[in-house]
Amino acid sequence: MTASFPEDFRYVLVDETVLQARVRELGAQITHDFQGEDLRLITVLKGGLFFLADLSRAVDLPLSFDFMAVSQYVQGVGGAVRVTKDLSDDIEGASVLLVEDVVDTGLTVNYVLSLLRARGPKRLEVCALLDKPARRIAQVPIAYRGFEMPDKFLVGYGLDLDGRYRNLKSIVALRDEMVLS
Amino acid sequence: MTPGEHVPEVEPVDPAAIHAPLDEIQFAHASERVAAEILDFYRIAWLYEPTTFPIEWDGQGRVVASFSPDFYLPDFDLYIELTTMSQKLVTKKNRKVRRLRELYPDVNIKIFYQKDFRKLLARFGVASQPVAHAEGGGMIAANLPTSEKDVS
Repeated sequence: MTASFPEDFRYVLVDETVLQARVRELGAQITHDFQGEDLRLITVLKGGLFFLADLSRAVDLPLSFDFMAVSQYVQGVGGAVRVTKDLSDDIEGASVLLVEDVVDTGLTVNYVLSLLRARGPKRLEVCALLDKPARRIAQVPIAYRGFEMPDKFLVGYGLDLDGRYRNLKSIVALRDEMVLS
Repeated sequence: MTPGEHVPEVEPVDPAAIHAPLDEIQFAHASERVAAEILDFYRIAWLYEPTTFPIEWDGQGRVVASFSPDFYLPDFDLYIELTTMSQKLVTKKNRKVRRLRELYPDVNIKIFYQKDFRKLLARFGVASQPVAHAEGGGMIAANLPTSEKDVS
């Protein structure tokens, strides 16, 4: 844990040891479930970066991985979500596992799944490290779930506040006064 | 009209239906318009207050109280209610939602409280400030980002 921001404003929800143990469990489960398949791990930048890196090393299969990035809502700008960085490889006929740091409203995952589905993968599943169902709008199927989280503003292990704190090794909840002040 | 029966003010919608332009919709609060913009951004079909659910009747069976959730998302068969009043003022709204769930158990509704919505905006990088109930309630964005950025 770093001293990047005041102790009073945050508390650890999932520490590094517990987090890494769960990632290994997920990796073992995925290894079992995708035997003999052309497994591709895909994540949406930037939040899923650390989870993808650790999960991919916990899966004992000859997989490959790829990245996407999509635009984020900006108030008053209008327009619609779009891909800002597309996959490098074709996924038609492959077994795709979308690796997400967190599923919150489900809006981003719902959009990305619709894009991936249209490209004809043989199999398409979601692996989410964190599931925050309290604010779920788009119901998305999560085949592999790390932890169910309360409706807190989370940072660390890829999750950010204004681009910072992604590099924390634990999942940290910020107190409301820090986020809403 | 009997308890448990509701009268949609619009016909069941095609998921591909397109709502009226935002400027032509009389949103109750600015925050509802922001919610509509977010749904549009993520290409989620929605309708604004399409259904009024009677929730209370007098002795003669006349409707004396009803509830119109803010949004209906046909793709997910989900109603959304934004309660952007301060927490201490939401008791009446909670009672309505609870009554709706009792009378219409098959109706899916999700309520977003002020803090929920402000945290959601914060995740999008939009800071917000609550507006006093006496001044109309809801909230306003406290900053307006000027460029798109990659999703977190």
